[in-house]
Amino acid sequence: MVNAMIEVKQLHKSFGSNEILKGIDFEVKKGEKIVIIGPSGSGKSTLLRCLNYLERPTSGSVKVEGQYFVEPQNKFSEKHVASLRTEIGMVFQRFNLFPTMTALENVIAAQVKIRKRSKEEARKTAEHYLNKVGLAERMDHYPSQLSGGQQQRVAIARALAMEPKVMLFDEATSALDPELVGEVLKVIRELADEGMTMVLVTHEMKFAEEVGDRIIFMDNGFIVEEGHPKEFFRNPKNERTKAFISQVEHPENMVAH
Amino acid sequence: MDVLNNLDFATAFRALLPDLLGGLWISVEATVAGFILAVVIGVLIALGRLSKSKLLNGILVVFLEIVRGTPLLVQLVYMYYVVPLLIMLVVQFWQPSFQFTFSPFLAGMLGLGINYGCYLSEVVRSAILSIDKGQTEAALALGYTNRQSMWSIVMPQAIRNSVPVFGNYLVMMIKDTSLLAFITVSELLLRTQTYASQTFLTIESYTILALAYLVISLPLAQIMRLLEKRLLKHG
Repeated sequence: MVNAMIEVKQLHKSFGSNEILKGIDFEVKKGEKIVIIGPSGSGKSTLLRCLNYLERPTSGSVKVEGQYFVEPQNKFSEKHVASLRTEIGMVFQRFNLFPTMTALENVIAAQVKIRKRSKEEARKTAEHYLNKVGLAERMDHYPSQLSGGQQQRVAIARALAMEPKVMLFDEATSALDPELVGEVLKVIRELADEGMTMVLVTHEMKFAEEVGDRIIFMDNGFIVEEGHPKEFFRNPKNERTKAFISQVEHPENMVAH
Repeated sequence: MDVLNNLDFATAFRALLPDLLGGLWISVEATVAGFILAVVIGVLIALGRLSKSKLLNGILVVFLEIVRGTPLLVQLVYMYYVVPLLIMLVVQFWQPSFQFTFSPFLAGMLGLGINYGCYLSEVVRSAILSIDKGQTEAALALGYTNRQSMWSIVMPQAIRNSVPVFGNYLVMMIKDTSLLAFITVSELLLRTQTYASQTFLTIESYTILALAYLVISLPLAQIMRLLEKRLLKHG
């Protein structure tokens, strides 16, 4: 029985001489919802992108369901990494839908090409998930004909159609107009309620508190503090955490220094 | 103004029409075959130049410079007269009795395809580079390998975005088929030349020739514009 869905050990990531992640250890248990927060440049998006090897760590290991992306001592195998990625859905800040395909085709493509489902089956699955994100009516629209919120919901359906075991959300609502944020958060919340294992990077603190089982606060390449949401937001222990929370909750009090 | 009074377009047109149609057909064939070859070569060179191999990159850059630094006409002549000789020389090491030539049409198609392929490769390469990196990332995150994401996600978009420029090159190529006359492909120009020198209907023949090119290239340019509009509707 594998308890940890994702296991990260001593993860380091540098771009050139610039070290972004300075030794990260953490675990995501099955069904757990982890929210990563922190100031910009703290490394939280890089960490998330290391979880499906979109960024290749400089050192350290990432395991998904007990399987390494790259076994220690072994060589990087693109095929193995690609097949492991099918277990991990990812939703991007900028949606990244394929512009030449309709919403439906976007959700079908990888199912047929990668999961090797029949067109018929892929179509049924796609319709199911588009329906789930509330876009049954808009399946035949192209991304350019959809609002940001609708595009992001298609992107979520596209990831879900692969039936992954974990979902990663990289600031999924940051690029949206404020009035469209709600519809996307609602879909994510429903997913959370169904028991999906999730790791989210977000700036929506209220949402983080409501949905998260555990909050991880990152600053300057380290995990500074982690804890249960209620405890974390009401009673932060670390000075930097306190500063960050008060800054987010009362941005008007912050003066440049 | 005897010359003007003696113009006889009707005779020239009637006599040239079958020749022109035949020549036109050859030009169209050479263009279709040459352009397909050019797209294939263009895509392959573009991918080679985007690969991580420095050696491959270097070889391709040298090749591109040679092709772009010499006239198309010289390349066609080289392809027709020299390349078969070179191939013959090499193969004769093993098989002394080996003989080899290109048909004029084949040499012309290869010459046009390679020359245009080099220019198209730059179009394809910059089109690939202009596709948002997020497209590749989305594909990789869904489990595509780099190769799969290139061929089924990035390349189709890059080609689609290149269509307007491809269209310009296609119209240019159909006009450049006139150069094939120099390697004895019996296309429009060569046939018209033959007729003009036999009848001395010089003004008429070459004017009709010029119009014949316009008759193909103008509608073709229009078709490309419509295609472009259709393709760019989304995204």
